[in-house]
Amino acid sequence: MSLLERLGRGHLTDRDFANLWVASESAAGTSDPHLDACAACRARYDAFERWIVGVGNELRAEADEAFPADRLSAQQAQIARRLETLERPARVIAFPKAARAVISGNSHVRRWVTAAAAAGLIAGVGLGQIVPLRTAIQVKPRAATSTPAQLTAHETQQIAQQLTPEATLRNDEDVLSEAFARPRISTLSALDDMTPHARDTVLNHRGK
Amino acid sequence: MSGTSPALIAAREADAAAASAVKALQASGRLDDARERYSELVARHQRRASRIAYHYLRDAAEADEAVQDAFIKAYQHLASFREELPFDVWFTRILINGCLDRIKARTRRERWLLPMSGQSGPATADGTTTERDVTERVPAGGQSPEQALLGRERRQQIAAALAKLPERQRSVFVLSHVEGRTSREVSALTGLNESTVRVHLFRAIRKLRGMLANDRVAAAPGELKGRRRVTS
Repeated sequence: MSLLERLGRGHLTDRDFANLWVASESAAGTSDPHLDACAACRARYDAFERWIVGVGNELRAEADEAFPADRLSAQQAQIARRLETLERPARVIAFPKAARAVISGNSHVRRWVTAAAAAGLIAGVGLGQIVPLRTAIQVKPRAATSTPAQLTAHETQQIAQQLTPEATLRNDEDVLSEAFARPRISTLSALDDMTPHARDTVLNHRGK
Repeated sequence: MSGTSPALIAAREADAAAASAVKALQASGRLDDARERYSELVARHQRRASRIAYHYLRDAAEADEAVQDAFIKAYQHLASFREELPFDVWFTRILINGCLDRIKARTRRERWLLPMSGQSGPATADGTTTERDVTERVPAGGQSPEQALLGRERRQQIAAALAKLPERQRSVFVLSHVEGRTSREVSALTGLNESTVRVHLFRAIRKLRGMLANDRVAAAPGELKGRRRVTS
Protein backbone atom coordinates (compact mmCIF):
# COMPACT_ATOMS: atom_id res chain seq x y z
CA MET A 1 0.00 0.00 0.00
CA SER A 2 1.53 3.26 -1.06
CA LEU A 3 1.81 6.40 1.01
CA LEU A 4 -0.64 8.24 -1.21
CA GLU A 5 -3.21 5.52 -0.75
CA ARG A 6 -2.79 5.64 3.02
CA LEU A 7 -2.94 9.42 3.18
CA GLY A 8 -5.94 9.45 0.91
CA ARG A 9 -7.73 6.84 2.98
CA GLY A 10 -7.20 8.52 6.29
CA HIS A 11 -6.08 6.97 9.53
CA LEU A 12 -4.45 3.57 9.83
CA THR A 13 -6.61 0.55 10.59
CA ASP A 14 -5.98 -2.52 12.73
CA ARG A 15 -5.04 -4.34 9.57
CA ASP A 16 -2.32 -1.78 8.90
CA PHE A 17 -1.11 -2.07 12.47
CA ALA A 18 -0.87 -5.84 12.18
CA ASN A 19 0.98 -5.45 8.91
CA LEU A 20 3.38 -2.95 10.43
CA TRP A 21 3.90 -5.15 13.48
CA VAL A 22 4.81 -8.19 11.40
CA ALA A 23 7.00 -6.14 9.06
CA SER A 24 8.82 -4.49 11.93
CA GLU A 25 10.19 -7.85 12.97
CA SER A 26 12.04 -8.52 9.76
CA ALA A 27 13.26 -4.97 9.12
CA ALA A 28 14.39 -3.17 12.24
CA GLY A 29 13.00 0.31 12.67
CA THR A 30 10.31 -0.02 10.02
CA SER A 31 8.20 3.06 10.20
CA ASP A 32 5.21 4.42 8.42
CA PRO A 33 5.04 8.06 7.28
CA HIS A 34 1.47 8.45 8.43
CA LEU A 35 2.28 6.89 11.79
CA ASP A 36 5.16 9.29 12.26
CA ALA A 37 3.00 12.24 11.33
CA CYS A 38 -0.30 11.40 13.01
CA ALA A 39 -0.33 11.50 16.80
CA ALA A 40 -3.73 9.78 16.98
CA CYS A 41 -2.55 6.83 14.93
CA ARG A 42 0.68 6.65 16.94
CA ALA A 43 -1.35 6.44 20.13
CA ARG A 44 -3.58 3.74 18.65
CA TYR A 45 -0.57 1.83 17.41
CA ASP A 46 0.99 1.96 20.88
CA ALA A 47 -2.26 0.60 22.31
CA PHE A 48 -2.21 -2.14 19.68
CA GLU A 49 1.35 -2.97 20.60
CA ARG A 50 0.48 -3.11 24.28
CA TRP A 51 -2.44 -5.36 23.52
CA ILE A 52 -0.40 -7.84 21.51
CA VAL A 53 2.40 -7.93 24.07
CA GLY A 54 -0.24 -8.38 26.77
CA VAL A 55 -1.70 -11.36 24.95
CA GLY A 56 1.75 -12.96 24.78
CA ASN A 57 2.32 -12.27 28.46
CA GLU A 58 -1.01 -13.76 29.44
CA LEU A 59 -0.34 -16.90 27.45
CA ARG A 60 3.11 -17.26 29.01
CA ALA A 61 1.67 -16.70 32.47
CA GLU A 62 -0.97 -19.33 31.89
CA ALA A 63 1.61 -21.90 30.84
CA ASP A 64 3.89 -21.02 33.75
CA GLU A 65 0.98 -21.40 36.12
CA ALA A 66 0.43 -24.92 34.81
CA PHE A 67 4.14 -25.67 35.29
CA PRO A 68 5.26 -24.38 38.67
CA ALA A 69 8.86 -24.86 39.84
CA ASP A 70 8.16 -28.08 41.75
CA ARG A 71 6.56 -29.63 38.72
CA LEU A 72 9.56 -28.74 36.60
CA SER A 73 11.88 -30.30 39.20
CA ALA A 74 9.81 -33.47 39.18
CA GLN A 75 9.91 -33.46 35.39
CA GLN A 76 13.69 -33.13 35.39
CA ALA A 77 14.04 -36.00 37.87
CA GLN A 78 11.74 -38.14 35.77
CA ILE A 79 13.78 -37.44 32.65
CA ALA A 80 16.97 -38.41 34.51
CA ARG A 81 15.35 -41.66 35.67
CA ARG A 82 14.14 -42.52 32.21
CA LEU A 83 17.56 -41.85 30.71
CA GLU A 84 19.14 -44.09 33.32
CA THR A 85 16.79 -46.98 32.64
CA LEU A 86 17.30 -46.47 28.94
CA GLU A 87 20.97 -47.41 29.18
CA ARG A 88 20.64 -50.20 31.71
CA PRO A 89 20.39 -53.65 30.11
CA ALA A 90 17.19 -55.51 30.72
CA ARG A 91 17.29 -57.69 33.87
CA VAL A 92 16.52 -61.36 33.38
CA ILE A 93 14.20 -62.68 36.04
CA ALA A 94 15.07 -66.19 37.33
CA PHE A 95 12.47 -68.85 36.85
CA PRO A 96 10.73 -69.62 40.18
CA LYS A 97 12.25 -72.65 42.01
CA ALA A 98 8.93 -73.83 43.36
CA ALA A 99 7.53 -74.34 39.87
CA ARG A 100 10.60 -76.40 38.90
CA ALA A 101 10.25 -78.72 41.93
CA VAL A 102 6.67 -79.51 41.07
CA ILE A 103 7.50 -80.40 37.49
CA SER A 104 10.70 -82.46 37.91
CA GLY A 105 10.75 -83.82 41.47
CA ASN A 106 12.56 -87.12 42.32
CA SER A 107 10.48 -88.05 45.30
CA HIS A 108 9.29 -91.56 46.17
CA VAL A 109 5.71 -90.43 45.77
CA ARG A 110 6.32 -89.65 42.13
CA ARG A 111 7.77 -93.14 41.53
CA TRP A 112 4.87 -94.83 43.29
CA VAL A 113 2.35 -92.83 41.32
CA THR A 114 4.05 -93.83 38.06
CA ALA A 115 4.19 -97.54 39.02
CA ALA A 116 0.54 -97.57 40.11
CA ALA A 117 -0.54 -95.94 36.86
CA ALA A 118 1.42 -98.52 34.81
CA ALA A 119 0.01 -101.43 36.84
CA GLY A 120 -3.52 -100.11 36.43
CA LEU A 121 -3.04 -99.86 32.70
CA ILE A 122 -1.70 -103.42 32.37
CA ALA A 123 -4.49 -104.85 34.54
CA GLY A 124 -7.08 -102.97 32.50
CA VAL A 125 -5.74 -104.32 29.20
CA GLY A 126 -5.56 -107.91 30.53
CA LEU A 127 -9.08 -107.82 31.91
CA GLY A 128 -10.30 -106.44 28.63
CA GLN A 129 -8.87 -109.48 26.84
CA ILE A 130 -10.53 -111.98 29.21
CA VAL A 131 -13.99 -110.47 29.59
CA PRO A 132 -15.86 -109.89 26.31
CA LEU A 133 -17.06 -106.54 27.44
CA ARG A 134 -17.81 -105.43 23.97
CA THR A 135 -20.32 -108.16 23.29
CA ALA A 136 -21.95 -107.72 26.71
CA ILE A 137 -22.40 -104.07 26.17
CA GLN A 138 -23.52 -104.41 22.58
CA VAL A 139 -27.23 -103.76 22.21
CA LYS A 140 -29.18 -105.61 19.56
CA PRO A 141 -30.84 -103.34 17.13
CA ARG A 142 -34.53 -103.10 17.56
CA ALA A 143 -36.87 -104.48 14.96
CA ALA A 144 -38.27 -101.85 12.83
CA THR A 145 -41.72 -101.05 14.11
CA SER A 146 -44.04 -98.47 12.92
CA THR A 147 -45.33 -95.99 15.38
CA PRO A 148 -48.95 -94.85 15.11
CA ALA A 149 -47.77 -91.62 13.63
CA GLN A 150 -46.03 -93.48 10.81
CA LEU A 151 -49.07 -95.59 9.85
CA THR A 152 -51.03 -94.67 6.80
CA ALA A 153 -54.78 -94.47 6.85
CA HIS A 154 -55.05 -97.76 4.93
CA GLU A 155 -52.80 -99.64 7.41
CA THR A 156 -54.77 -98.29 10.36
CA GLN A 157 -57.97 -99.56 8.80
CA GLN A 158 -56.48 -103.07 8.31
CA ILE A 159 -55.42 -103.27 11.94
CA ALA A 160 -58.87 -102.23 13.05
CA GLN A 161 -60.44 -105.03 10.96
CA GLN A 162 -58.12 -107.63 12.54
CA LEU A 163 -59.50 -106.77 15.97
CA THR A 164 -62.68 -108.87 15.92
CA PRO A 165 -65.64 -107.82 17.99
CA GLU A 166 -65.65 -111.23 19.77
CA ALA A 167 -62.19 -110.68 21.09
CA THR A 168 -63.16 -107.39 22.57
CA LEU A 169 -66.35 -108.72 24.09
CA ARG A 170 -64.89 -111.66 26.06
CA ASN A 171 -66.05 -111.91 29.64
CA ASP A 172 -63.93 -112.04 32.77
CA GLU A 173 -64.26 -115.82 33.16
CA ASP A 174 -62.66 -116.42 29.78
CA VAL A 175 -59.84 -114.12 30.53
CA LEU A 176 -59.14 -115.81 33.87
CA SER A 177 -59.35 -119.32 32.45
CA GLU A 178 -56.93 -118.30 29.74
CA ALA A 179 -54.57 -116.94 32.38
CA PHE A 180 -54.85 -120.20 34.33
CA ALA A 181 -54.22 -122.27 31.23
CA ARG A 182 -50.86 -123.96 30.79
CA PRO A 183 -48.23 -122.05 28.97
CA ARG A 184 -47.93 -122.61 25.29
CA ILE A 185 -44.17 -122.47 25.23
CA SER A 186 -42.91 -126.06 25.26
CA THR A 187 -39.48 -125.28 26.69
CA LEU A 188 -41.05 -123.85 29.83
CA SER A 189 -43.41 -126.80 30.45
CA ALA A 190 -40.94 -128.59 32.77
CA LEU A 191 -40.60 -125.57 34.94
CA ASP A 192 -44.34 -125.10 34.90
CA ASP A 193 -44.89 -128.65 36.14
CA MET A 194 -42.67 -128.08 39.18
CA THR A 195 -44.36 -124.85 40.13
CA PRO A 196 -47.60 -124.83 42.20
CA HIS A 197 -50.42 -123.05 40.44
CA ALA A 198 -53.30 -120.99 41.67
CA ARG A 199 -55.50 -122.88 39.22
CA ASP A 200 -54.86 -126.21 41.07
CA THR A 201 -55.60 -124.61 44.41
CA VAL A 202 -58.90 -123.27 43.13
CA LEU A 203 -59.89 -126.64 41.57
CA ASN A 204 -59.04 -128.50 44.75
CA HIS A 205 -61.10 -126.08 46.75
CA ARG A 206 -64.03 -126.55 44.38
CA GLY A 207 -63.68 -130.38 44.53
CA LYS A 208 -63.96 -130.39 48.29
CA MET B 1 14.15 -6.55 17.12
CA SER B 2 15.46 -8.47 14.20
CA GLY B 3 18.67 -10.32 14.65
CA THR B 4 19.75 -12.14 17.75
CA SER B 5 20.52 -10.66 21.14
CA PRO B 6 23.97 -11.14 22.74
CA ALA B 7 22.36 -13.09 25.60
CA LEU B 8 20.78 -15.48 23.16
CA ILE B 9 24.05 -15.88 21.27
CA ALA B 10 25.82 -16.71 24.52
CA ALA B 11 23.10 -19.18 25.50
CA ARG B 12 23.35 -20.89 22.14
CA GLU B 13 27.09 -21.17 22.40
CA ALA B 14 26.68 -22.77 25.80
CA ASP B 15 24.09 -25.17 24.35
CA ALA B 16 26.39 -26.11 21.47
CA ALA B 17 29.26 -26.76 23.88
CA ALA B 18 27.09 -28.89 26.15
CA ALA B 19 25.62 -30.86 23.24
CA SER B 20 29.11 -31.54 21.82
CA ALA B 21 30.34 -32.65 25.23
CA VAL B 22 27.40 -35.03 25.67
CA LYS B 23 28.00 -36.47 22.22
CA ALA B 24 31.67 -37.06 22.99
CA LEU B 25 30.86 -38.66 26.34
CA GLN B 26 28.25 -40.92 24.74
CA ALA B 27 30.77 -41.98 22.10
CA SER B 28 33.41 -42.80 24.71
CA GLY B 29 30.95 -44.85 26.74
CA ARG B 30 30.96 -42.56 29.78
CA LEU B 31 27.22 -42.59 30.03
CA ASP B 32 26.88 -41.37 33.61
CA ASP B 33 28.86 -38.26 32.76
CA ALA B 34 26.87 -37.84 29.55
CA ARG B 35 23.60 -37.87 31.48
CA GLU B 36 24.99 -35.47 34.04
CA ARG B 37 25.99 -33.04 31.33
CA TYR B 38 22.72 -33.47 29.48
CA SER B 39 20.79 -32.46 32.60
CA GLU B 40 22.21 -28.94 32.08
CA LEU B 41 20.50 -28.75 28.72
CA VAL B 42 17.30 -30.11 30.22
CA ALA B 43 17.32 -27.50 32.99
CA ARG B 44 17.95 -24.71 30.50
CA HIS B 45 15.20 -25.61 28.07
CA GLN B 46 12.48 -27.38 30.01
CA ARG B 47 10.43 -24.31 30.95
CA ARG B 48 10.32 -23.04 27.40
CA ALA B 49 9.59 -26.54 26.13
CA SER B 50 6.77 -26.93 28.65
CA ARG B 51 5.19 -23.67 27.52
CA ILE B 52 5.28 -24.67 23.88
CA ALA B 53 3.89 -28.14 24.58
CA TYR B 54 1.19 -26.69 26.80
CA HIS B 55 0.02 -24.27 24.13
CA TYR B 56 -0.08 -27.05 21.58
CA LEU B 57 -1.80 -29.67 23.72
CA ARG B 58 -3.78 -27.54 26.21
CA ASP B 59 -3.28 -30.18 28.89
CA ALA B 60 -0.56 -29.96 31.52
CA ALA B 61 -0.15 -33.72 32.05
CA GLU B 62 0.08 -34.48 28.36
CA ALA B 63 2.44 -31.55 27.82
CA ASP B 64 4.63 -32.90 30.61
CA GLU B 65 4.82 -36.28 28.90
CA ALA B 66 5.51 -34.70 25.53
CA VAL B 67 8.41 -32.69 26.98
CA GLN B 68 9.88 -35.77 28.64
CA ASP B 69 9.60 -37.78 25.44
CA ALA B 70 11.24 -35.00 23.44
CA PHE B 71 14.22 -34.80 25.82
CA ILE B 72 14.65 -38.58 25.77
CA LYS B 73 14.45 -38.65 21.99
CA ALA B 74 16.93 -35.78 21.67
CA TYR B 75 19.37 -37.59 23.95
CA GLN B 76 19.07 -40.80 21.97
CA HIS B 77 19.58 -39.05 18.65
CA LEU B 78 22.16 -36.53 19.75
CA ALA B 79 24.69 -38.19 17.43
CA SER B 80 22.68 -36.89 14.48
CA PHE B 81 22.69 -33.30 15.82
CA ARG B 82 24.69 -30.88 13.71
CA GLU B 83 26.38 -28.11 15.65
CA GLU B 84 25.79 -25.50 12.96
CA LEU B 85 22.10 -25.54 13.86
CA PRO B 86 21.17 -24.13 17.29
CA PHE B 87 20.32 -26.88 19.77
CA ASP B 88 17.09 -25.17 20.83
CA VAL B 89 15.84 -25.05 17.25
CA TRP B 90 16.68 -28.72 16.71
CA PHE B 91 15.13 -29.72 20.01
CA THR B 92 12.00 -27.59 19.53
CA ARG B 93 11.41 -29.25 16.20
CA ILE B 94 11.49 -32.66 17.89
CA LEU B 95 9.08 -31.35 20.51
CA ILE B 96 6.64 -29.86 18.00
CA ASN B 97 6.58 -33.06 15.95
CA GLY B 98 5.85 -35.01 19.12
CA CYS B 99 3.03 -32.63 20.03
CA LEU B 100 1.51 -32.88 16.56
CA ASP B 101 1.63 -36.69 16.78
CA ARG B 102 -0.16 -36.53 20.10
CA ILE B 103 -2.82 -34.20 18.71
CA LYS B 104 -3.40 -36.62 15.83
CA ALA B 105 -3.65 -39.56 18.23
CA ARG B 106 -6.05 -37.62 20.44
CA THR B 107 -8.24 -36.73 17.47
CA ARG B 108 -8.39 -40.39 16.47
CA ARG B 109 -9.26 -41.37 20.04
CA GLU B 110 -11.93 -38.74 20.44
CA ARG B 111 -13.60 -39.85 17.24
CA TRP B 112 -14.70 -42.98 19.10
CA LEU B 113 -15.54 -41.41 22.43
CA LEU B 114 -18.64 -39.56 23.45
CA PRO B 115 -18.01 -36.27 25.19
CA MET B 116 -18.94 -36.39 28.86
CA SER B 117 -20.65 -33.50 30.53
CA GLY B 118 -18.52 -31.89 33.20
CA GLN B 119 -15.53 -33.79 31.94
CA SER B 120 -12.36 -32.79 33.66
CA GLY B 121 -9.13 -32.69 31.79
CA PRO B 122 -7.84 -31.43 28.54
CA ALA B 123 -9.26 -29.31 25.88
CA THR B 124 -12.88 -28.84 25.07
CA ALA B 125 -13.97 -27.91 21.60
CA ASP B 126 -13.13 -24.26 22.01
CA GLY B 127 -9.79 -24.99 23.60
CA THR B 128 -10.72 -24.05 27.13
CA THR B 129 -10.34 -26.47 29.99
CA THR B 130 -13.14 -27.34 32.33
CA GLU B 131 -10.74 -28.90 34.79
CA ARG B 132 -9.25 -25.90 36.41
CA ASP B 133 -11.61 -24.30 38.78
CA VAL B 134 -10.48 -20.94 39.99
CA THR B 135 -10.34 -22.17 43.55
CA GLU B 136 -7.88 -24.87 42.57
CA ARG B 137 -5.23 -22.36 41.75
CA VAL B 138 -3.35 -20.37 44.27
CA PRO B 139 -3.36 -16.76 43.15
CA ALA B 140 -0.06 -15.22 42.27
CA GLY B 141 1.66 -13.31 45.05
CA GLY B 142 0.05 -10.00 45.87
CA GLN B 143 -3.13 -10.63 43.85
CA SER B 144 -6.50 -10.39 45.48
CA PRO B 145 -8.94 -13.25 44.77
CA GLU B 146 -10.95 -10.88 42.55
CA GLN B 147 -7.90 -9.94 40.51
CA ALA B 148 -6.94 -13.58 40.23
CA LEU B 149 -10.44 -14.43 39.02
CA LEU B 150 -10.43 -11.66 36.44
CA GLY B 151 -6.97 -12.62 35.28
CA ARG B 152 -8.04 -16.21 35.00
CA GLU B 153 -11.10 -15.33 32.94
CA ARG B 154 -9.02 -13.16 30.64
CA ARG B 155 -6.50 -15.94 30.10
CA GLN B 156 -9.27 -18.37 29.34
CA GLN B 157 -10.69 -15.99 26.75
CA ILE B 158 -7.31 -15.55 25.11
CA ALA B 159 -6.61 -19.28 25.20
CA ALA B 160 -10.03 -20.01 23.68
CA ALA B 161 -9.42 -17.49 20.92
CA LEU B 162 -5.99 -18.95 20.25
CA ALA B 163 -7.45 -22.43 20.09
CA LYS B 164 -9.86 -21.31 17.37
CA LEU B 165 -7.01 -20.36 15.06
CA PRO B 166 -5.97 -22.80 12.34
CA GLU B 167 -3.08 -25.01 13.43
CA ARG B 168 -0.35 -23.27 11.46
CA GLN B 169 -1.41 -19.80 12.50
CA ARG B 170 -1.52 -20.91 16.10
CA SER B 171 1.93 -22.50 15.90
CA VAL B 172 3.43 -19.44 14.30
CA PHE B 173 1.78 -17.09 16.80
CA VAL B 174 2.86 -19.12 19.82
CA LEU B 175 6.44 -19.48 18.65
CA SER B 176 6.67 -15.87 17.60
CA HIS B 177 4.79 -14.08 20.36
CA VAL B 178 4.92 -16.41 23.30
CA GLU B 179 8.43 -17.72 22.74
CA GLY B 180 9.81 -14.62 21.06
CA ARG B 181 11.22 -16.36 17.99
CA THR B 182 12.06 -14.47 14.84
CA SER B 183 10.38 -15.34 11.55
CA ARG B 184 13.54 -17.05 10.42
CA GLU B 185 13.61 -19.22 13.52
CA VAL B 186 9.92 -20.01 13.25
CA SER B 187 10.58 -20.95 9.63
CA ALA B 188 13.33 -23.34 10.73
CA LEU B 189 11.14 -24.78 13.46
CA THR B 190 8.02 -25.33 11.42
CA GLY B 191 9.54 -26.00 8.02
CA LEU B 192 7.49 -23.17 6.50
CA ASN B 193 8.84 -20.52 4.19
CA GLU B 194 9.82 -17.31 5.97
CA SER B 195 7.35 -15.18 4.04
CA THR B 196 4.64 -17.77 4.70
CA VAL B 197 5.41 -17.47 8.39
CA ARG B 198 4.85 -13.73 8.22
CA VAL B 199 1.56 -14.19 6.36
CA HIS B 200 0.35 -16.69 8.98
CA LEU B 201 1.44 -14.34 11.75
CA PHE B 202 -0.40 -11.43 10.20
CA ARG B 203 -3.57 -13.49 9.80
CA ALA B 204 -3.31 -14.83 13.32
CA ILE B 205 -3.02 -11.33 14.77
CA ARG B 206 -5.95 -10.10 12.71
CA LYS B 207 -8.15 -12.98 13.79
CA LEU B 208 -7.21 -12.69 17.43
CA ARG B 209 -7.84 -8.97 17.32
CA GLY B 210 -11.29 -9.69 15.91
CA MET B 211 -12.13 -12.40 18.40
CA LEU B 212 -10.86 -10.43 21.37
CA ALA B 213 -12.42 -7.17 20.26
CA ASN B 214 -13.72 -6.40 23.74
CA ASP B 215 -10.54 -7.44 25.38
CA ARG B 216 -7.85 -4.83 25.61
CA VAL B 217 -5.13 -6.48 27.61
CA ALA B 218 -2.55 -3.84 28.21
CA ALA B 219 1.06 -4.57 28.83
CA ALA B 220 2.99 -2.37 31.17
CA PRO B 221 4.91 0.29 29.20
CA GLY B 222 8.25 -1.15 30.27
CA GLU B 223 7.39 -4.53 28.78
CA LEU B 224 7.24 -3.13 25.29
CA LYS B 225 10.96 -2.57 25.18
CA GLY B 226 11.74 -6.26 25.23
CA ARG B 227 8.70 -6.93 23.09
CA ARG B 228 9.05 -10.34 21.54
CA ARG B 229 12.41 -11.32 22.90
CA VAL B 230 11.50 -13.69 25.64
CA THR B 231 13.95 -15.62 27.68
CA SER B 232 12.97 -18.21 30.24
